[in-house]
Amino acid sequence: MTEAAEEPRSRRLRITFVAALGMLWIAAAAIACAAGPSVLHVNAYATDVAHAYDAPSRVHALGTDGLGRDELARLLQGGRITLSVGIVAALVSMFIGTVYGAVSGYYGAWLDTLLMRVVDVLLSIPTLFLLLLLAAMFHGSLLALMLVIGATSWLGPARLVRGEVLTLKERLFVEAARSIGAANSRIIFRHVVPNAAGTIVTTTTFMIASAMLAETALSYLGIGVRAPTPSWGNLLSSAQSDIFAGAWWLIGPPGLAILLSVCAFNFVGDWLREST
Amino acid sequence: MLQFVLRRLLLAIPTLIGVTIVTFVLLHLAPGGPALALAGEKATPQQVAIITHELGLDRPWPQQYAIWLSALLHGDLGFSYIRQQPVLALIAERLPQTLLLMGTAIAASIAVAVPLGVYQAYRRNSLFDRTASAAVFVAWSMPTFWFGTLLIAVFAVTLRWLPVGGLQTIDTTAFDWPSRFAHLTLPAATLAIVSMAGWSRYVRGSMVEQLREDYARTAVAKGLPQHRVLFRHTLRNAIIPFITLLGGTVPALFGGAVITEQIFAYPGMGQLFWQSATDRDYATLLGMTVITAVLVVLGNLMADVLYGVFDPRVRYD
Repeated sequence: MTEAAEEPRSRRLRITFVAALGMLWIAAAAIACAAGPSVLHVNAYATDVAHAYDAPSRVHALGTDGLGRDELARLLQGGRITLSVGIVAALVSMFIGTVYGAVSGYYGAWLDTLLMRVVDVLLSIPTLFLLLLLAAMFHGSLLALMLVIGATSWLGPARLVRGEVLTLKERLFVEAARSIGAANSRIIFRHVVPNAAGTIVTTTTFMIASAMLAETALSYLGIGVRAPTPSWGNLLSSAQSDIFAGAWWLIGPPGLAILLSVCAFNFVGDWLREST
Repeated sequence: MLQFVLRRLLLAIPTLIGVTIVTFVLLHLAPGGPALALAGEKATPQQVAIITHELGLDRPWPQQYAIWLSALLHGDLGFSYIRQQPVLALIAERLPQTLLLMGTAIAASIAVAVPLGVYQAYRRNSLFDRTASAAVFVAWSMPTFWFGTLLIAVFAVTLRWLPVGGLQTIDTTAFDWPSRFAHLTLPAATLAIVSMAGWSRYVRGSMVEQLREDYARTAVAKGLPQHRVLFRHTLRNAIIPFITLLGGTVPALFGGAVITEQIFAYPGMGQLFWQSATDRDYATLLGMTVITAVLVVLGNLMADVLYGVFDPRVRYD
């Protein structure tokens, strides 16, 4: 935004190097995780106790874990889980945040005051506290995990969307829609919200990154994705104890996978923010 | 000014009441409950029923809430039946440790983020700026517990420079500053990494903006030395919005402390919260949420007041 003053306009729409890298990584990771397990003929759940804690070799490119399961297979399968948790949770939080923020900003007056006070209240409780309580209560299915992460992270998006809607609702096209008798709900979701798409898409990207981090944090505490289902979070968390068994090769891959993927989504989000 | 503070404090009351209601309802939606946790797994349904009745957990929610709230107003945060201690005593024991950890983390974050952000803005688009921006991005995306584990692996296990965890050396009972500081370094670094990254990005962005302003150009044009323009003119303006950001970080730090304290076995609020959540110690969870929310509200208020101290243009009306 600020850089634009010095540079020609065309430059703003060009993709930056890091954003391209980020997109490339996301695409590569998604394809590898989706197709990898079947292409490589590896199984993330097949145990082989005779080959527990095998160091990386030609048979097991990333070694095996304490039950002799192929780490590469678990990493790819875990990627499916972590990436889908990140994306679905982000979509849940954006859906709640967008509807809530748009309604609050559009109607304004006492409803806006009330709804924003509720956001203030929830923001006074550390997000991780809420996340912990809910995750401990509804510990179980993957869907519950996605919903819990989504349900605790919509406050930021709600505020952003509300701010955007506050300015958008004064625009001429809203008045035009109102003058031809469009209903409020139609104006909000057909006219106002699509015009906030830039903010919404950008925020979604950041929310995916933070939802992935939330999954790893919950898995570290043992209330995230349940074993034996692998996720990058619980692979990393079990790798911490595997280190004491001398299995140093287990700690790097899931950690790097999380770090690079979160970074990639943040890079893309940052570029989107700069170019809108 | 005083009027402003008082009004804000009054406005904080409904927020805090809201926090208590949300937490209260949330905790009572939880399956199981403290009676079951207290009675143990082998308890008969009758025993659980007796305990439930003794704790008053069979009364309707609004009544339980009213009892709890009126006790709170009398300075009684409740009693943890699982730990057999008043909640206030539990918190009083842990809160100073967490505040020390958070204070150190905040100080470290500022000490790194502000100079880094200023220098990056000063040398913007240089190789250093680009490298630092990339590094900051990586730090910002770091899963905290992985970073903490790496720190332990490097500094505690391999190099043996710093202790793995805890509060101070076990066999010392006396308060020992060097030992305390050594035990604080790795947890504080872990807690600080994300805020450090966020803040340096923020300082850089806002410094770049200020350096483009007319007053900055005037200051350079009239021949003031660079450092004077940077620190006396632009930094003072760039830092103002940063203060609000600082106030808003308190909840995130409390959240981060849950993970950090778990990694380093640091006996603070985060650890207590996590233990209470696994023990279903509702009284403690409620009390901690209220105390934390009070600190969050105070943090925001303090940021608003400081805003006026740093920016004389702000008038409280």
